[in-house]
Amino acid sequence: MTAISCKNLCKTFQQGDQTVVGLDHVSIEIDSEEVVCLSGPSGSGKTTLLNAMGGLDTPDSGEIRVGDLRVDLLDKGQRADMRLNEIGFVFQAYNLIPVLTAQENIEFVMQVQGVPAELRHQKSLAILQEVGLEGLEDRRPAELSGGQQQRVAVARAIVSEPTLVLADEPTANLDSTSAIQLIELFLELNRKLGITFVIATHDTRVMSYCRRMITMVDGKIVKDVQQDQAPLAASEHNAISQT
Amino acid sequence: MQNADQIRTNALPPLGTLMTLAWRNLWRNHRRTAIMLAAISVGVWAMIFMSALMRGMVDDMLKRGIDQLPGHVQIHNPQFLDDPSIVHSLPEPDSAMQDALNQAAVSKWFSRVKVPAMISSERESRGVMLLGIDPEAERETILNGVELTQGRFLESAGDRGVVLGEKLVQRLETRLGKRVVITSQDPQNNLAEIGLRVIGIYQAELRSQEEQFLFISKQAAQKLLNIEDQVSEVAVFGDDYRDIARVSQHVTAATESWNSRLPAKVEANPWQTINGFLSSSVTVMDGFVLIWIIVVFIALSFGLANTLVMAVFERVREIGLMLALGMRPALVTWQILLESVFLLLLGLLLGNILAVLSIYALADGIDLSGVAQGFEMVGVGNTLVPQLWIKDLLTANAVVILLGLTTSMLPAWRAANYDPVRALSKAT
Amino acid sequence: MLSLAWRNLWRHSRRTWLTVGAMIFSNILLVFMITLQIGNYGMMIENSLKAYAGHIQISATGYSDEPKLRLTVDNITELAELLRREIPELSVSMRGETFVMASSEERSFGLQVAGVDVAHEATVSSIPGLLAEGQYLRAGDHPEIVIGSVLARNLKVGVGDEITLLGSGYDGSFAAAVVNVRGIFNSGIAELDRNLAQISFASFQALFAMQEKGHVVIANSSDVYQAASYQQQIQQLLNQQSELGSGAIEVLNWRETNPSLVQAIQSDLVSSIFMYMVLIVLVSFSVLNTQLMSVLERTREFGIMTAIGLRPGQLGKLVVLETTAMAGLGLVIGAFLGLCLTIYLNQVGFVIPGMEEMAARYNLQERLYPSISVFSILVGPSVVFLGCLLAAVYPVIRLQGLQPVAAMRAA
Repeated sequence: MTAISCKNLCKTFQQGDQTVVGLDHVSIEIDSEEVVCLSGPSGSGKTTLLNAMGGLDTPDSGEIRVGDLRVDLLDKGQRADMRLNEIGFVFQAYNLIPVLTAQENIEFVMQVQGVPAELRHQKSLAILQEVGLEGLEDRRPAELSGGQQQRVAVARAIVSEPTLVLADEPTANLDSTSAIQLIELFLELNRKLGITFVIATHDTRVMSYCRRMITMVDGKIVKDVQQDQAPLAASEHNAISQT
Repeated sequence: MQNADQIRTNALPPLGTLMTLAWRNLWRNHRRTAIMLAAISVGVWAMIFMSALMRGMVDDMLKRGIDQLPGHVQIHNPQFLDDPSIVHSLPEPDSAMQDALNQAAVSKWFSRVKVPAMISSERESRGVMLLGIDPEAERETILNGVELTQGRFLESAGDRGVVLGEKLVQRLETRLGKRVVITSQDPQNNLAEIGLRVIGIYQAELRSQEEQFLFISKQAAQKLLNIEDQVSEVAVFGDDYRDIARVSQHVTAATESWNSRLPAKVEANPWQTINGFLSSSVTVMDGFVLIWIIVVFIALSFGLANTLVMAVFERVREIGLMLALGMRPALVTWQILLESVFLLLLGLLLGNILAVLSIYALADGIDLSGVAQGFEMVGVGNTLVPQLWIKDLLTANAVVILLGLTTSMLPAWRAANYDPVRALSKAT
Repeated sequence: MLSLAWRNLWRHSRRTWLTVGAMIFSNILLVFMITLQIGNYGMMIENSLKAYAGHIQISATGYSDEPKLRLTVDNITELAELLRREIPELSVSMRGETFVMASSEERSFGLQVAGVDVAHEATVSSIPGLLAEGQYLRAGDHPEIVIGSVLARNLKVGVGDEITLLGSGYDGSFAAAVVNVRGIFNSGIAELDRNLAQISFASFQALFAMQEKGHVVIANSSDVYQAASYQQQIQQLLNQQSELGSGAIEVLNWRETNPSLVQAIQSDLVSSIFMYMVLIVLVSFSVLNTQLMSVLERTREFGIMTAIGLRPGQLGKLVVLETTAMAGLGLVIGAFLGLCLTIYLNQVGFVIPGMEEMAARYNLQERLYPSISVFSILVGPSVVFLGCLLAAVYPVIRLQGLQPVAAMRAA
């Protein structure tokens, strides 16, 4: 099944007097339960593509489908609701709301969704355990290490059980150990929960873990390859176990 | 579009979350919040305190003015207000009218003779206002307003003495026990003269009053002026000068039925009609209080807007994050507004407490004797007691909350309309 | 350094404008209020003095406190002549004053009658020019009187009608005269219109057996605020001419003869100063907030600056410069806009609705005119400026304890 499909996405920005091409006729299909790595030099359009997929930004032209939804046709409020309910986000930094504790940050999305308090507590505690942060639920972001902060962000991204998580440079501010732990957490969640991950990165540590690697330059997809050595993504894992 | 139907929308905003966020955000920059709180408290204090001072001043002026008029409602010959001459007198209330005036709506009433006259000692002469009063009915009211320093006050209806102000005694170079001559005219414009002994000397808080008014008994006045059973005015008091509707209706009705028994009509007027200066001062003060409250608020509003603009500015990325996570822009607006509400409410609380405390602390009055003569020009005594009007308190609070929220709308609205992509990527 | 301060100011242009906006708002308000107040005070003084009281009064000692018929200035005409000769820039006139009972055909009232030096009265009083009906007095002893409009109404008399005056003379004799109303004046000052009647000085002296005596010499200069210095001059002159001061004579300026006027102004000043202070404190809070924020958010930057060798004092100077620039901007714009507003209002005047009764009580006209002077325009904004500079003290003090390393680490 297709998780995301993009057809002919174009997007340009004005930067001073210059027009910068963000996306240049990008077409791409990502199946559900894939773990896809989006790489390329800075300014190549990774983040723009990710934002377009997540409904944070609208393309100038082209079509985006997430599941059955035509994202490009939604209005602002509907896109907000889509982000709230269908998609998880992990950003490079400033992922968390500083005045809320780890647990409150995870519950924040559910609160906005209107999930009852008791269920929220259960779920947030369970998910904190899942990402290996039990015991740290009452700490505020400033009291957590970078790796821990990103884990909270991941926990928040998956707590509302989205089918798709979009991660933008999630490891950029992390040391090697934390980075590898984080990407392993992604793969584990992919295997266990069947969540599709699209990770924009230029961190080679991350790339080596992904089966599918899409490379962008100047807003175009220049390479889209399956790697052999990478650990198994959920789709293949399932396929193998089924045989 | 089928697309849109698939998107769930939230019925209720998660108020608890918003309140938590707003409250904690408020204290992130505690210095700024503290300064802003101080500013709001001082502003609110100034609004309420100043209003209370003004109200106290006007109230004092009105009480004095009305006691001097005197009365909450007066009954006159219809021409008297225009031409306060002895020619325009009215009869003493008959027994039916007296019954009506002795009913519960009226707290007290009396009738008096009031004519311009000249008083002469052996050495000097002065123009004065002669008040012929019924000591039994009026003694208490008068002695409430003035202090008897020498001698005694008028005691009986036929008392043959005169009570003068201290200032007038000095001017006339007379003293207690001396005789003075009072000259006026009778209704036929014959000069009328009476010699009376000074039996009492009073001091009034307003020195000008001492020179202006002298008291003799009503009977002596009527005899001097040759007006048997005639008076200049009937003064009627209710319970509170601010709320005279009941007493005014009652007196008007009683006067109408009295009129049916009289050869010439008389009329009842509330104090507002009789003294335009006094009644306009209440409206002027209402306007002044409102303008003052709004001016203080505007001075505050710049700081408030500034604080919120900065608060939003510092949190651009966070707001971007919330928007990116799917928080509806309206909720972001609410969050900022809530923050502003907390700030305003705290400031109001402090300001109100300060104001009430300072008004309470000055309940004995502020001594104005240094500029007493200046205040006398508007008829205010030399002690100013601030008066807290609930109306002013509510106006100040309502203005701060309502206009405060209005001021906060812009930064809050701007915050909600950030583009999450740009907000998130904003550099430190 | 100045250009650095200026540029720093515009890093947050919205914040700067909001802070400057607060100053501009209060400055405009202060300029408006203060020019109006000074204008009003001027009008109060002017109106209260010009109709009758005058700038300087010379009378027997104690007369101003207790105006009695017997407290006279002997040889009053000579005294007035002396003043005219020695201090020619003064306008001088003389008066006698007493209370009489005045009766018309229908009414009788006690009132003040003034004997005025007809030839000179118009130079010290506006009443001769404020006749609503009839004409002013003629010099010399004529049986004629000029009365206030309210008095005329109360006495039910018009021009040409007779009034009988009854009183007592200087020597205790009975004084009586029948005079004709020659004119009716309307000064706009209720007390005078209700209470005052004028006859010629000659008639007054004759009627009340005053011989060469009078009560008051009035001296006006072109500027009421000069009264005190002329008062001194006159005092010195009188000291030299001891033969004139057969009785003890006192020279008083309008502040002394109208304490209620001075105090009314003072009481108004006190309450308005309270209000202005509140405004200024609020604006200062706004500036304090802004400058503290701007210092705190630049902790790191200041850390770097100290690290490269700037002393905290220099950073403090920078913050003070920034505040000065901001406050200066508020001062200039606020005072300018305030000036524009007052110039406009000074041309057209304006009416505060509902204030007519209040205004009359203070001898003000309905239409008010702000007074424009360097002082009235700049005093308010200058205090705001100082208040704002004061607000920079706390942020500057905070800078003194700056630790470069810790500051640079601050996010």
